[in-house]
Amino acid sequence: MKREQRWMKLSVLSLSLIMMLVLSACGSKAAMESNSSSEGSSSESVKITLLNSKSEINSQLEQAAKDFHAENPNVTLEIVPVGSGQSPFEKASALYASGSPTTMMMLDTGDVEKFKDRVLDLTSESWVKDAVENSTAATTFDGKNYAFPFSIEGYGFIYNQNVLDQAVGGTFDPKSVQTTAQLDELFQKIAATGKSPLIVSPMDWSLGAHYLGLAYGGQSPDRAKVDQFITDLKAGQVDLSSNAVFNGLIDTFDLMKTYNIDKASPLSGTYERGPEVLGKGEVGIWFQGNWAWPQISSFDTADGKYGFLPVPVSNNPDDFGNTQISAAVSKRILLDKEKSTPAQQEAAKKFLEWIVYNEKGQDFLVNQASIIPAFSNITLEPTDPLGKSISEYIKAGKIEESMSTLPADHWSKLGASMQKYLADVIDRAGLASEIQAYWSNVK
Amino acid sequence: MLTEKGLWTRLRTRLIFTGPTLFAFATVMIIPFLYGIYLTFTNWDGIAVDQNFVGWDNYIGVFKDTVFWKSFGMTLEYVFITVVLTNAVAFLLAYAVTRGMKAQGWFRAGFFLPNLVGGIVLGFIWQFIFNQVLVFAGQKMNLTLFSTSWLADPDKAFWALIVVTVWQYAGYMMVIYIAGLMNVPKDVMEAASIDGASNRKMLARIVLPLMVPSFIVCIFLSLQRGFMVYDLNVSLTSGGPFKSTEMVSMHVYEQAFLARDYGLGQAEAFVLFILVAAITLLQVYFSKKLEVEA
Repeated sequence: MKREQRWMKLSVLSLSLIMMLVLSACGSKAAMESNSSSEGSSSESVKITLLNSKSEINSQLEQAAKDFHAENPNVTLEIVPVGSGQSPFEKASALYASGSPTTMMMLDTGDVEKFKDRVLDLTSESWVKDAVENSTAATTFDGKNYAFPFSIEGYGFIYNQNVLDQAVGGTFDPKSVQTTAQLDELFQKIAATGKSPLIVSPMDWSLGAHYLGLAYGGQSPDRAKVDQFITDLKAGQVDLSSNAVFNGLIDTFDLMKTYNIDKASPLSGTYERGPEVLGKGEVGIWFQGNWAWPQISSFDTADGKYGFLPVPVSNNPDDFGNTQISAAVSKRILLDKEKSTPAQQEAAKKFLEWIVYNEKGQDFLVNQASIIPAFSNITLEPTDPLGKSISEYIKAGKIEESMSTLPADHWSKLGASMQKYLADVIDRAGLASEIQAYWSNVK
Repeated sequence: MLTEKGLWTRLRTRLIFTGPTLFAFATVMIIPFLYGIYLTFTNWDGIAVDQNFVGWDNYIGVFKDTVFWKSFGMTLEYVFITVVLTNAVAFLLAYAVTRGMKAQGWFRAGFFLPNLVGGIVLGFIWQFIFNQVLVFAGQKMNLTLFSTSWLADPDKAFWALIVVTVWQYAGYMMVIYIAGLMNVPKDVMEAASIDGASNRKMLARIVLPLMVPSFIVCIFLSLQRGFMVYDLNVSLTSGGPFKSTEMVSMHVYEQAFLARDYGLGQAEAFVLFILVAAITLLQVYFSKKLEVEA
């Protein structure tokens, strides 16, 4: 009996010992890590992490991390990818909730405001003065800029030069399409060659965030007026059915519906079908953005000759939007200030500077990752035709700033409304009232 | 255990054996659950540093959210159809593969196989089948039913979800029914056949009543899985076309993470939890009364 009791005591003791060990091991590892990095001076090694939400450039980023490490041997950069189908906001907030945020986070423009209490103020960084116009406006709150503008992306009608050359009988000039009527004419010419004029991909994000976004961004070249328009929408003071830009945009959409290759079943298309039919030259035009280049190039039959056409909203070529491409800074990098040590923050800032000012960094950004940089000091030209086309529009000042700060569920809810319109489930009045109803419910 | 004297000694022994499990259960189930309930009273958006207490606002929001109730209604419809179909198919399969036909072991394995594929992968595979394979076949063979994608039409997309669900779960439920069929006492069956009962009569009067426990388990499982359907919903239809097949779990998820209204999403999840718990408990309670002794 006595021996048993002793054994029991022993087991309780050992069990609690094991528990303590396990628990303290978890704690001490973190403590050790933070110790080593907080003491880290310039000579000591620092480990920083970057949450990457552009999965298509993950391998390029990893290479950039190696190059950066070669030049800054004391800094190790690790790339943490966001799982496909997961939103970067969700991943970043989950990392914060678990108390282990990455040093740098690549997020979408609209997310920045939510994180502003947890990230560093980057207003005084050296690259701010070289950032292109308006590229930090959407991430500046109370005069403080919280994000690094990483990439510019743009969208519009992507055309296949081969198909259009055939249709117009000569070399197609993108400047020849500046009104809805001219677009109609072009569609007819393509149809006359026996090909389908265009494909409308029915994804909700494409229709909701991109196409419908043009209805807001196209209201005025003056951003303040666009913001006012959104405010009025929320207050229920806008009558969309009498709004010229909205009606013009939907007129063009009606045209797209008529000439759509998938007209028989407009909602059955998938994203993957778009680059295939465009690249193979089965259609002349696809409404999409420059991010689609890798997919298009894998089907390319036009010898890499593609470009963008604006989405016309009226029959007057001078109206805003008829000669402009929608583009904006899409991805931003934020630096955590809660869990990162000063040494880590310094290293992260150094990495951002490296991208903007170092030759290798610029090469990574433009040549390797095919990104349109948001910095005027970078003179490298994008190598892919779509990026090139957007750069040309930017240089010519023909840009309509994309709506990148819409409410988070806008693309999903109003994308569904656009799908209904595409499939003729609702008419234009129904679409307008669904859009207005959505906005009046936004908190 | 019972020989041990004193509260402390007993408690200590309990803790040694159940302590680690209790600890794990509390940290990953109980505490998050309670914290989740706490969050339903705040207007947290998922990231903000501070959470403001808003009282019952979120619960009022749940009752005002017509889309939530619409998708709950659709989920009920989906659950009803899948529970009936899954169990009917599963029972027939089980009945067929216990008749002693050739290669029935292979058939059992084959019917069970869909369960081994994860819901997301399975959804993508079927998306390909509905969008490409069936459409191609339908167009070649002039079958109007398949000539356009099922996933592009709200009603057909709903049935596509049901087809895949039944296909996936019928094999699993079949295994439970096989076990139930095996447990029907041979002597009772023999006695019945000596008394001249037909096959059909034996099925109706002996086999089915004796298999009530299997039915309770299977209906419970298919009910619960039906209500919680999410992965298949996301990967097969992603709620489309135009949100017409958005089941209630998906709606709750989108409310919390997409609309960034964590408090409201959590409140909807809690309401959903209570409704589903009530329905499944009622099912088990009432079907228990049907059980008979052999």
